[in-house]
Amino acid sequence: MGDVMTVRENGATAPAKSRVRVAVPAVDVFENADELLIVAEVPGVSSDGIELRVENDTLILQAKRAPEKDSWPALAREYEEVDYATRFRIPAGIDSSAIAAETKNGTLTVRLPKAAAAKPRKIAVQAKN
Amino acid sequence: MLTGWREFDETLRTLDTLRTLDQLHRRIDRAFEDWGVPGTSEITRRQAAPWPPMNVFETKEAFLVRAEVPGLAEGDVSVSVEDEALVIRGERKSDVPAGYKVHVRERAPVAFARKLPLPGRIDFEAVSATLRDGVLTITLPKAKDALPRQIAVKVG
Repeated sequence: MGDVMTVRENGATAPAKSRVRVAVPAVDVFENADELLIVAEVPGVSSDGIELRVENDTLILQAKRAPEKDSWPALAREYEEVDYATRFRIPAGIDSSAIAAETKNGTLTVRLPKAAAAKPRKIAVQAKN
Repeated sequence: MLTGWREFDETLRTLDTLRTLDQLHRRIDRAFEDWGVPGTSEITRRQAAPWPPMNVFETKEAFLVRAEVPGLAEGDVSVSVEDEALVIRGERKSDVPAGYKVHVRERAPVAFARKLPLPGRIDFEAVSATLRDGVLTITLPKAKDALPRQIAVKVG
């Protein structure tokens, strides 16, 4: 499987009219025999705000917060309410049509299943007498 | 840092490796200083930002404290008011799925405790907290007698 560490490309372009800063989310990438698993932190974004698409061999993620209805004076501010964007190169051997995603507690989990041909296969050895 | 606020507690990072690395950095710093080389201190002594990051807002009726805690579920965080301070404690446990190889790990497990002095007089009984999409919002309603009051002007 491709080295996903080098696969991630930062600096996805933000829509021109967006006034919110766009940050690259923190991610974990895991792999087992069946799939690659990407977990991205997108606090403040609900599932409605997430757009995932595959273009050629690139997985593009954009996550937007719902705009706040109210604005109050801040007494203290340690974080900025950013939107998120990043992209990943999909390694060979992934079944792009079967990529699935879900959100939970401000994290997005994307499952990239390996194509059957890319999975390790066990070949039965038969004894011949 | 919460400007204008006093921080009582630093974020407690329980990752032993981090702590060990930090101690190592300090030791290296001291060694360098002993040799009269001040250069590295600034970088290696830079404190990790407190976790979780928080914003505090004031509305007409309440103070709102927001914290970004992605990955934390309801049971992972506790909110209390102790000694005129708001205390948030919790832990984000390691969530590496069993049997998976790790390629990239940017979301470290973290244990934290943050204590913020109350920004004003509040109604303790009415404090509430909600967790949504990885953002914790704590509402601290102002004490009734601390709310602005309109005083009628009568003709004397």
